[in-house]
Amino acid sequence: MRNRAYRPDIRRSLLVFVILSLFTVPAMGDELLIRITKGADSAIPISVVPFSESGQMPSGDKVSRIIQNDLEMSGEFAPLPPEQMLSLPSRGDEVFFRDWRLLGQRYVLVGQVTSAGGTLNAQYELYDVSQEKRLVGATASAPASASRSLAHHISDRVYEAITGVEGAFSTKLAYVTLERNANGPTYRLQVSDVDGKRARVRLESDEPILSPAWSPDAKKLAYVSFETGKPAVYVHELSTGNRQRVADFPGLNSAPAWSADGQSLLMTLSKDGNAEIYRMNLASGDLKRLTNHWSIDTEPSYDHTGNGFFFTSDRSGGPQIYHKASENAEPRRITFGSRYNARPRPGPDGDYVYYVHQRDRAFHIARTNLESGDETVLTRTESDESPSVSPNGRMLIYATKSGENSVLTVIAADGGAAYSLPASRGDVREPAWSPIVR
Amino acid sequence: MIGHERDTGDKARAPWKSPVALSIFLHGLVLVVALAGWSWTSPANDPPPPSISARLVTQAEPEPSPVVDTVDEPDRDQERQQAQEEQRRKEQEAERRRQEQERAEEARRIQQQQEKERQQQAEAQRKQEEQRLKEQQAAKQKAEAEAKELARQKAEEQRRKEEAARKAEEEKRRAEEERRKQEEARRAREEQERLEAERKRKERERQLRESQLEALAQEAAEEREAEERRRKEAAAAKARQAQMLTESEKYRALIRDRLMNEWYPPSSATSEMVTVLRITLLPTGELSSVAIESGSGNTAFDNSAVSAARAVGRYPVPDDQQVFEQYFRRFPIEFNPENAK
Repeated sequence: MRNRAYRPDIRRSLLVFVILSLFTVPAMGDELLIRITKGADSAIPISVVPFSESGQMPSGDKVSRIIQNDLEMSGEFAPLPPEQMLSLPSRGDEVFFRDWRLLGQRYVLVGQVTSAGGTLNAQYELYDVSQEKRLVGATASAPASASRSLAHHISDRVYEAITGVEGAFSTKLAYVTLERNANGPTYRLQVSDVDGKRARVRLESDEPILSPAWSPDAKKLAYVSFETGKPAVYVHELSTGNRQRVADFPGLNSAPAWSADGQSLLMTLSKDGNAEIYRMNLASGDLKRLTNHWSIDTEPSYDHTGNGFFFTSDRSGGPQIYHKASENAEPRRITFGSRYNARPRPGPDGDYVYYVHQRDRAFHIARTNLESGDETVLTRTESDESPSVSPNGRMLIYATKSGENSVLTVIAADGGAAYSLPASRGDVREPAWSPIVR
Repeated sequence: MIGHERDTGDKARAPWKSPVALSIFLHGLVLVVALAGWSWTSPANDPPPPSISARLVTQAEPEPSPVVDTVDEPDRDQERQQAQEEQRRKEQEAERRRQEQERAEEARRIQQQQEKERQQQAEAQRKQEEQRLKEQQAAKQKAEAEAKELARQKAEEQRRKEEAARKAEEEKRRAEEERRKQEEARRAREEQERLEAERKRKERERQLRESQLEALAQEAAEEREAEERRRKEAAAAKARQAQMLTESEKYRALIRDRLMNEWYPPSSATSEMVTVLRITLLPTGELSSVAIESGSGNTAFDNSAVSAARAVGRYPVPDDQQVFEQYFRRFPIEFNPENAK
């Protein structure tokens, strides 16, 4: 279509050329615009060359291996396995672009890690193979015990240099595991790296733990625990382990969500007889009721503006996603695609909302473009729940079934390749992706 | 069976004893007696008229009454007187008898004459009567004949009239029939014409509809073809366009395909981002230089474009040196993702 629009130009230029060539010698080159509107469908080929190492290296995965894994997990990159590499350069001047070009590589990351005095130093360079140009050249350091943090940091830098989007590999995940043994079930609230490593148990209970939510500074978790025999909302400071039971009203106390300033929590309470959404000021404990409807209103989540919020309501007969642009605004229904849409989680840019979506008896994760209303089902798995979007909006984690157990899976936020996190024992569920901490 | 036997027994009697014979005999006897009686009694039929005249005569005689009175008168000298008287009376008696005789004779004669006359008169009367009857009969017959003739004529007339009426009726009926037929024919013709007109109208409509349908079908087919064409263009742009486009367009398409395969739009790309590069090629198709003519404002995006342009090892260019110089020595490439968010 667009090519056709240029055709008159070509004809005219041909004519001009003919006329000019009658009177003048060599015509100047005429414009011939080539428009590229679509890129390759595949992930970006990148080679993370194993970093050279010197000094006492900590045990466990090597830094370059962690980076390679991070990039692969994003779904946007297709790292070349090191065994297929023709050479293993660790410095820019050792990179022969022709080799990488032959291998069809677009980017090459090289680097060295040295360990000295309990500190790891990394020097790394990212090259654009086709441009034969260095995009990143930097050094970074970390305690030897934090080699994974160092690797995730480099992953973030590489990711941002190539994609223009801030990386989210240094963020954390909170989730709940369930282990069943002879003594009964054990629920554990855990926090790990985004690749599932370095998991640490923050709370253990015989009673269910639900709905962990990160504070904006990623220092606290709010969650629902049944440890007293009934649901209550707690705020848990991770560095100290201090816990505070903030909501223990009669009936339901559930689904906490932090405000952008970390001063208050949205939550669902049924203390007034019906499940409604309230905002609690954490300092004063004051409550403000934000919904008032005979149906169930629950699972609130602030939108990207920090003023409005999404929530689930079955006021139309079944659970659907609604949005209030402000606390006093009229709710607007967002989802219409099926009879069950629940647990909304907005993306960071305000362009999409993600949620659990039932289709043909299967539960998927779907997203709706808030501008166009277009709905896209993102997952091919069938018992999906608890979506949580990475803070850069590029990845999505959710819980799904794998055999008997529930596992966590990461996919690209637009529905790209899936990456399953290594599962610990038993069920893993209720994932919550932390904010980026600067 | 029994009756039959008895019949058989009757037959055994002598013929003259049979009831038939007896009957014949009796009939014969009766006939004879009748005939005799008839001839014998026939004069006896005559007396009635004399009895009529006799009565008339008797009334005309006043004498007998004084005679009786005289006889009853007693007298001393009666002997003699009586003898005298007797004598005289005898004489008178004889005289009276004689007169009476004469008178009877005379009466008989007159009566006969009268009878004769009467008979003649009766005969004449009879004849007259007969004549009259005859005439009457004739007149009657004539009248009857006339009446018959009249009736016949009347009947004839009636018949004629009826016939005429019938004919008239028939004529009328025929005319009516004719008219009806004509009417019918007219109606049929009109109906025919109407049907024909209707048929023509329908035919026209059908043709119109068909042509419309055809046009629609044509349109749909064209649409389908166009769709198919678009799909093919999109799917097999290289092959299709190579055929369709001019030499330069062909190479332009080839270059575009190569660039599309080499371009990895970054995650941050939006459909608003546009980067235009200007590239310079050697006649061999090797990239001589690439420069950002106008950037998108997003470094990663600009980089992805330059990277794609540089990733194409050797650009497909036409062998025709003039075409190369004209179009492929230097040209712009625009990167603008349509399907990005």
